[in-house]
Amino acid sequence: MKLTAVRNFLNETGDISRFTGRFFAEAFKPRYEFAELLRQAFFVGYKSLPLVAVTAFIMGLVITIQSRPTLVEFGAEAWLPKMVSVSLVREIAPVITALICAGKIGSGIGAELGSMKVTEQIDAMEVSGTNPFKYLVATRVMATTLTIPILAVLADAVSLYGGYLGANIHGVVSWDLYWNQVFDTLAFSDVLPSVIKTFFFGFAIGIIGCYKGYNSNKGTEGVGRSANSAVVVSSLLVFILDLLAVQIIDILRLT
Amino acid sequence: MIPQTNIAPEMDTVLSAPVIQLKNVSKSFGKNHVLKDFNLDLNKGENVVVLGKSGSGKSVLIKCIIGLIKPDSGTISVLGKNIPELNHTELDKIRAKVGFLFQSNALYDSMTVRQNLEFPLRRHRAKMTKSEIDNLIIEALTNVGLAHTVDMQPSELSGGMKKRIALARTLILKPEIILYDEPTTGLDPITGKEISNLMCELAKKYNTSSIIISHDLNCVKIVANRIVMLIDGKCYAQGNFESLKNSTDKQVQQFFQ
Repeated sequence: MKLTAVRNFLNETGDISRFTGRFFAEAFKPRYEFAELLRQAFFVGYKSLPLVAVTAFIMGLVITIQSRPTLVEFGAEAWLPKMVSVSLVREIAPVITALICAGKIGSGIGAELGSMKVTEQIDAMEVSGTNPFKYLVATRVMATTLTIPILAVLADAVSLYGGYLGANIHGVVSWDLYWNQVFDTLAFSDVLPSVIKTFFFGFAIGIIGCYKGYNSNKGTEGVGRSANSAVVVSSLLVFILDLLAVQIIDILRLT
Repeated sequence: MIPQTNIAPEMDTVLSAPVIQLKNVSKSFGKNHVLKDFNLDLNKGENVVVLGKSGSGKSVLIKCIIGLIKPDSGTISVLGKNIPELNHTELDKIRAKVGFLFQSNALYDSMTVRQNLEFPLRRHRAKMTKSEIDNLIIEALTNVGLAHTVDMQPSELSGGMKKRIALARTLILKPEIILYDEPTTGLDPITGKEISNLMCELAKKYNTSSIIISHDLNCVKIVANRIVMLIDGKCYAQGNFESLKNSTDKQVQQFFQ
């Protein structure tokens, strides 16, 4: 029983690796599907913006409110903007954005491609002279890889604004003082690694959603399972990639 | 040993060299041998129905013909080209001449009827102007009697309408050959008959040759010039509707009772 589970896990890991290899082999060869890439970027980016913004705002606000009492206890209330900005930009905003996108976009891609697969739409596309892998998979993976970093940067900004409001609920921090402290604290080595890791988060969300949907079977039940496992696996991958990113940043002494 | 009940086809159409020729095609999935040295010829202007039980490999057969599934062995010649040996570009050129009507219609849910019909045109005829594309779309929709649905979403259409739109999408490239995968399955008898008549009408209008996978005897009776019975992965018997209906072979009789 345990051996079968291990074998299935290894088989799936191998299949995902092959799927990723196929992406690199096919995505950068003509014919390029620019129109579909833009359409997907619009769906992935623009349509996820409100959800990401609201979540980031709440996270910024909550983290600030909850951190304040501890800092007050040590008489370090003035450090609040510094501490909050580092936590938000380095970790919370990118990871929250990726998790929101894994839930919203990963499940959407898994379900859409899954239902296209079981209703033979992917075969119909191939018969219509279109490489479905290029048209459906390559465009979606590129769209998530390119738009999730933009969403994460926007989430940084919105969560920092939430932090400003949070700091002013019980205390008084002026607009100028807050942002001066934030920008004094944040270094190139805080922002760049956190943006770079979001490209990997985006890629993982796209590739897992597409893999699960593209290999969906067993009818409508399979579609549900594809959408569900797309979210589970891509969320888990986001955390694993985050862990790896921290280790690499640490080794490179960027912290 | 499977009894061979080969009955000569009765054809009204004047025949020339086969447009599709399958020789010793075999395909298996694990231990399930779906096709075993299967042979079939489709002549120009002919409508051949492949009849067989569910899971007997009929859909696999036509997916092998269009190159969606690769056979384990054998040759599949479509318009003179051996499909398993073709690369993607060559396969796309052949696919522009071969229409495929899917069992589930396979209309793109996220696109309107217009965009569904535009899709193969933009892929295969990239140099066409907007007005030429619009004219072809209207012509294809008029042929199936659904010109008014051009800006509707597939989810707004009934089962019969979806089938007609899928047929219009198949016909828009004016293919020489059409492969139908259970065209009347899931439709009521009246709509099924309408679709069968439409298939005959359009075959005459565009001079197409067809392979039709079907269980529906009413459809088979209307469209078939010749029926091929696929049993145990082989061509068990062939002939026209009447000759197979009057066959004394038990396996053949099962389908016509």
